[in-house]
Parts: sequence; structure tokens; C-alpha cells
Amino acid sequence: MMHDMENAGPNLLDLEELDEEALKRESEEVLEMRFLNAGNSRFHRTGGGFLALKVGEKEYDRVGVYLTFPLTNPEEYISIREADEKAKEIGLIQNLKDLPKDQQEMIQEQIRLRYFMPVIRKVLDVKDEYGYAYWHVVTDFGSCRFTTHMGGDAVVNISGDRYQITDIDGNRYELPDLYALTVMERKKLDLFI
Amino acid sequence: MKLPLSLLEAIEGYGIKGEDIIFAANGDLDECFRFADSVIAITKDKLIIARYPYIEKKEVRLGGYNSWSLEEAAQAEKPAVLFFELAQVEKLEVLRQVSTGILMGNIAGEEKYLCQFSNTRMESFMRLGRLLEKLKKNEEIQPEDLDIKKGKECCPKCGMIYPDQERKVCPKCMDKRSILFRIMSYFKHYKVRLAIMILCYIGTALLNLVWPYLSGTILYDKVLAKDEAFLQTFHLPQGRFVLALGMLVITMIVSKILIQGIGILQGVFTAQIASDVIAKLKSQVFESMGRLSISFFTKRQTGGLMTRVSDDADEVSSFFIDGIPYFFINVGTIVATCAIMISLNPILAAASIILMPILFTVSYRLMPILWHYYGKRHRANRRMNGQMNENFTGARVVKAFGREEQEMSRFDKNNTRVREAEVDVAKFDCRFWALYCFIEDSLSFLVWAVGSSLIICGSNMEIGLLITFSGYVGQLKWPLEFMSRIFRWYTNAMNSAQRMFEIIDAVPEVKEVPDPVRPESLRGEIELKNVTFGYEPNKPILKDVSFKVEAGEVLGIVGRSGAGKSTLVNLISRLYDTQEGEVLVDGINVKQYGFRELRKNVAMVSQETYIFMGTVAENIAYARPDATREEIIKAAIQASAHDFICKMPQGYDTILGPANRALSGGEKQRISIARAILADPKILILDEATSAVDTETELAIQKSLEQLEKGRTVLSIAHRLSTLRNANHLIVLDNGKVTEKGTHEELLAQKGTFYKLTKLQTKALEMRAVD
Repeated sequence: MMHDMENAGPNLLDLEELDEEALKRESEEVLEMRFLNAGNSRFHRTGGGFLALKVGEKEYDRVGVYLTFPLTNPEEYISIREADEKAKEIGLIQNLKDLPKDQQEMIQEQIRLRYFMPVIRKVLDVKDEYGYAYWHVVTDFGSCRFTTHMGGDAVVNISGDRYQITDIDGNRYELPDLYALTVMERKKLDLFI
Repeated sequence: MKLPLSLLEAIEGYGIKGEDIIFAANGDLDECFRFADSVIAITKDKLIIARYPYIEKKEVRLGGYNSWSLEEAAQAEKPAVLFFELAQVEKLEVLRQVSTGILMGNIAGEEKYLCQFSNTRMESFMRLGRLLEKLKKNEEIQPEDLDIKKGKECCPKCGMIYPDQERKVCPKCMDKRSILFRIMSYFKHYKVRLAIMILCYIGTALLNLVWPYLSGTILYDKVLAKDEAFLQTFHLPQGRFVLALGMLVITMIVSKILIQGIGILQGVFTAQIASDVIAKLKSQVFESMGRLSISFFTKRQTGGLMTRVSDDADEVSSFFIDGIPYFFINVGTIVATCAIMISLNPILAAASIILMPILFTVSYRLMPILWHYYGKRHRANRRMNGQMNENFTGARVVKAFGREEQEMSRFDKNNTRVREAEVDVAKFDCRFWALYCFIEDSLSFLVWAVGSSLIICGSNMEIGLLITFSGYVGQLKWPLEFMSRIFRWYTNAMNSAQRMFEIIDAVPEVKEVPDPVRPESLRGEIELKNVTFGYEPNKPILKDVSFKVEAGEVLGIVGRSGAGKSTLVNLISRLYDTQEGEVLVDGINVKQYGFRELRKNVAMVSQETYIFMGTVAENIAYARPDATREEIIKAAIQASAHDFICKMPQGYDTILGPANRALSGGEKQRISIARAILADPKILILDEATSAVDTETELAIQKSLEQLEKGRTVLSIAHRLSTLRNANHLIVLDNGKVTEKGTHEELLAQKGTFYKLTKLQTKALEMRAVD
């Protein structure tokens, strides 16, 4: 019990006045799963080009969209969070499809923004030298060059034959199916896989 | 940064000149997530946003290629230009996404999306934001504010930013030769032994050259063919071929024994020199690791470091002992063998040599594939071992949740992978060697075929010579195979050497000043003045922190996890240096003190206790190995550790360590407190010292801590406010800033965070009482 209260504590620090009732309410809220749906919330674009949200009476000028399962289930359980550093959760969208079409699009846009990841279609060359690998690939955005570390976490197996590559600046690339590549291409990746 | 002409033209129309631009950043994504260029620039009073139309780029350059890269075709177009008066721009903020960033401007009260970029460009946009802040405050812009490379080290030779800031190696300029020579210097002390070894190598090679000649030409063509002229050259009586045969056999036996003898000698020397050099390299690497700042260790994986110390040294040394000499020997052997063959019989020599390049090419081209398969097998094995390790250590959890079967099927999967990898290796191995042997055999057949036909055709060819040739051809196989391997070996060894030298040459980030202050003792007054610090350049953990603690006082530090409490104390014992502001102890900047004096006076008890291999007494006396038994016991009593130590069968002589008696969390904690008591520091840092123990133990430890706090300046960090009840002053840290400071009463009166926390915790206790 004590432990839970301690964890809940920091989130309560923003309270203006210490109101015991509010405290209790908030601490319960923290432990609760809240869902956003077409009935209780409405997303809209701001003039500045960001996403705003109205839940009940409450207005959020700018919200962040976080996927809870970005790799395996990007359409469901989408966490909508406040835009500041603490990024407190406002609520979860259980299924994106339950929202009106235009709002779905707005959220999709934010998801693309946050989880931008070119997909590698072809591997032209991977050269390893002194602990770095220099890649030359064709992505769905055209030909692309980047550098990764050798070994370590540069190439990570996500599931089955799906891989994610992270370069030294933290840009990410997806390799959806290793076996869709030719034998020669796969040979170039042998160093990592 | 070179601004594109089309941009300059576009802004000129609005009366802005190129020289007005103070700084510009290159965005590389458009709002449709395509790679399109944009330029965001600031002048003294304007923010300019120029978006180029999207034209598919010939080549996108990301990770590691962070210089400006505007597509030429796009540059030729006219950009869409937007202007904002700086007076209206309140703030530029970078919103970090997972692998991109968004530049958001707070313009005339509205948060506006300005542009988007990949992580590669993050740095320059962060800089843009900071520059705007400076301009707004009318601060002077320093040249380093504009230098995107600031804080990033570049290769001194070609100016390229190191792809990895932690590894100061420029892949373009890395000079493999100089590393080679540097390694050679490690072998300097073994000149005599090395010379003997080289003689041995040459001897072996020569004997190997003679052997086929003895067993072929001499045996068949001279002795067995009863060549009288041959006997005469050795002054043997006529017709005594049995004697000649006997002598030949003895010569052959002697040469075989010699080869073996030399081999033994060589092996002994190799072992001696190699292990000496390996040991030397290892201790050098370990020594410089000790010298390096703590940041070096936190930024790297410990496992990686351990392999560096051991594997790299082995790799380098074996290359120098086995690789280099054999390289010369093998080149010599190949050249000499070919020369001898040509001089004996040019036609047969041509037949022997003609297929050699094919043999070499096959092994040179196919070997890497073989290594790939070996690597795959290695990785599969590692994964399986990893799972086993995981399962054995986590056996309790597996059993508790009844997941044995699932784990077994997971193991089966990994096991199958190992099996498949094994089969792959075997398959390729067989095919490779079959091909290799086929070529090799064809070579022998060719020699035999050409040789036999020469004999039949009755040229001056004899059977013994043919046998000699086939011996030489056989002998060439090994050097050829070696030559196909040596390149890869060389690169690997140079890489390993480079990695080791990086550590040996690494300069610690926290350095002792040349002529440090070395006071006899400290009073223990601590003052922080406007301290800003972050582990990474752009992410400050502490922001403008200032406070003062008088000597002998107890300061409590409160704050949520991640607020920067532990970071704060790291600065006082100078495990890290501040980026801005200063830390003063007794009014002198900590940077001025000698490491020994400073650290002797600062001791830390943290929640992570570390027990070294050794006895209980040694562990307590870690900071002062010269402490007497009495002092050790006294410290243990004060830390309330004496009782449980006495109850152990071996008392203070009990050996602790991974494989020995396990102590409970509270016992370890008390030993580390005893360690701090014995160190007798003027400044004591308690970093959540009691958070890992139960309430009863906490009370006991609290008491010993109170003992310990007497006459010292104490910085105490705690989650549980009860721990801080004897603090003279308290500060509350939130998000790296000091938000509240004062005594208990003052803070409670402020009704701020501290008040809330106190309330919450008492409430929690009440609730527990009800439960």
C-alpha cells in the first residue's frame, strides 16, 4: 500500500491546494484505465498545425499520440498524453476505427510523425570498417545512405523475419521481411543477423 | 553551412542579405513525410523559413552524414519563404519524436509547426532554439554558439566529425601502419628471442624445401638408380649403394628430428613472448581504465569492456607471433619453391604453378562465406546459452508461474536453430573442402600426367624428380591457404589493437589540475553556485542549482526519482565536472583539490552496496587498508554490524564475495556504513542509504547513521521523509531545479511540495495502521 502511494505521490505534486478529497480522487484516477471514444472526446487540428483534444469539458491545446504496441498493434490502445515533459496520460483509444474518419486521419498523421521509419526495399551495399557499417539501401523514399555501429543494437530482430535498424544518429529503418531480399542482399546482412 | 543561391535571391527581394543570417539549419522532411529540404534561418530580427518543393532526391544521407545536403534539383527551384519578426517569436522548441524532430515556434501566442527533420539534424535545430534565446536576452553571440561541431570532436586530419563521439577514430584517416609499428614496439624487449625464432622459422622452411628433394630426386634418381657419379661427389667407394642409402636415410631422419626440435623451440618461445606481451597489454588497458572517469564506464557495457581487455590482447598478440612471421616465411617458401621447381624442370614447373592462382582464388573467395556460417553458429549458440542462463537464474519465476513447458518449447526453438546452423556449417564446409581438394587433386594429377608423359617421351625426366615435384606441390598448399586468410586476420588484429589503444590513450574527462591544493583536512562546508550539468550535452539534469551547507550541518535532499538528486552528489565527489557554475568545498572549487585529498574527505553510502572479494575486515577497511583491528571493530560496532559479524562462524575473517557467504541487504548496508565510518570523511553523502532494507533494520541503521553524522557535513537523499528528520536544512529538487529550501518548519509553512509529500506519507502510514 505504502509503495503504491509513494509511486502515486509525484503525480500529485501539481495540485494547487492540498484537498484531501481531490487527492483521493486523483490517486484513484492514476490507477484507472480511461478510454477516449467518439462519445466523450473530440480531436481537432489547431491553427498552428498540431492536434488538440477536448475531453468532456476539458480542453488540451496540444496532445501527444503514443502507440502502446507500435510494432505489433498500431491501430489499438493508443495512448493520448499531455504535451509537456511529464506527458501525463489523458486516456487510451481502444480502437482507432471507432473514431470518426477525419479524426482518425489526424491521429494517423501524428503517428506517422512520431514513428517515422523508412522501409528498406533493397540493400545495395553494406561495408564494415573499423567498427562501423556503412549502408547504402533503397527505401520507400529512394536511395539512402547511413552509418550504424557494428554489432550491438544496430540491427534488432523485431519478430520473425522483421528487423529494425538504428543508425548512429538514432534514425530508424525497417526491414519488413528479410526473406523478401535476394540471396546476395541477405549475404550482405549476414554480419548482423 | 553554405546557403543555396536560390534562397539568397528569394530573401534579397525582402531586403535581407546573406550576411545578415546568423545561423541556419537544414530541415530534411516535409509535412507529408517525404525527404524534402527546408532552411530555417535567423537574422538579428527575423526568423526565415524557406521550404523547397519536393523533388525526389537522388540519394538521402542520414546517420553520420550530417553536413548540409540540399538536393541540387530542388535548390534550383524557388523556395516558399515565410518571415516572422523575432519580436513575435517567443520561443523555438524542438519536439522530439522517436526518430524525427519537429521545430515548434511559439509565435504571437500560438504554437506553430515550423518544420520537421530527421534525428541527424537534431543538433543544429537545438542550437537554433538556444541562439534565439540568446538573441532575445540581447546576449552576445559567441563563435562557438554557431559552430555546430562544438562539443563534438573532429578528426584533426580531415575535419570529419567522428561518427561515434565515444570512439575517437576517424574511419577515413585511421592509419593501420602506425598501429602496426606501435604494436611492434611491444616486442622490442624480446629481440634476441625473436631473432632465434625467425632463425627457427627459416630453418624449418629450408628443411622443408630439402625434404622433397631428398625423398624424390636423391632417393630414386641417384641412389636407387645407382648413379656412380653421385657416389663420387660424396667420395664414397664405388658400388656401395647400400651405404649411400643408409646415409640418406640417416640424413632424412636427422632432418625430420631437426624439424621437430626446431618446432618445439619455436613453440616455447612463442608461448613465452606471446603471454608476456598479452599480459603487458592487458595490464596497460586495465590501468588506464582505472584512470578514466566514471562516465567512461557508464557509457559502455561492462561485458564489452571485459572482452576488450581479454580477447583483443589475445587477437593482437597471436597475429604478431603467428601471423607476421609466417607471412614472410610463406612468401619465402612460395617464391623459393617456385624458383627451385623452375630450375629443375621448367615444363613441369609450369604445370605445377598454373593451377595455383585458381586454388588461391577459390579459398580467398569462399573462405569468408565459411566464416559467415561459423559466425551464425556462434550466434545461435550464444542465444541458446543466454536462454539457459536466463532460465537458471530466473528458475523461481518460471516455476512460480508454472511456465516450464513454454520455456521448454522456447529452448527447443533455440536448440533447433543451433542444430540448423551446425548443419549449415557442415554442409558448406563439406562442399568447400570438396571443391578445394578437387582443385588440389587436379593439380597433383596434372603434375603426374605431365611428368609421366615427359618420362615416356624420353626427355631428360626421371621418376625421382617427379616425386620431388609432387612433394613441392603438396607443400605449397598450406602457404597458399594461409595467404588467403592473412588479410582478414590483419584487419581483425588491427581493429583489436585500435580498440585497445583507444583505451590506453583515452584522456579522462575529469582531470586533476597540475598543482592541486592539498589541505591537511577539510572543514566540510559545501556550496553550489549556479550549477548546470547533464550527462549528455543537450539534456541538462541539473539546472542552475545553488545552495550552501555549513560545516557540520545535515542537508536533506528531497525529490522524485529522476529529479537529479544522485547526480548532484556525484558532482561533489567530482565523479563528473559541472558544465556551468561551480562546486565549492571550504570556499575552494573542487576542481582545485587533489583527487586524493578530496575523495579521502568525501564518503558515500548509497543504496547500491558493493561487497568486494575478501574478508569482512578487508571490506570494512577498504578505504583505509592500514586500519587496526580495534578500529575496524569500533567502526563495525558504530554501524551496528558487530553483532551479526560475531555470529558468523569465521567472524571478521569470513570471506565475502560472489561465491561465498551471502549477506542480506541490511547486512551489506551496514558493512558499507562501517566502511564509511572507518574512512572518517568530513563530508558524508547518504544516497538512499536505507531504502533497500525493512523498517526494523532501517531504524537500527538510522541509529548508526546518526552516530556517523556527528561532526560531519552530511548530504542525505531520501524518499522517506522520516529518514530526514534530523536534517538542519532541506532542499526540494524538481526537474533539476531547486524549488524549495529551508528548515522543516519553513517548508511546512510554505505548503509546497514538501508539505504535500509529508501529508501523503503520514496519510499512507495512517492507512497502513488501519489495514
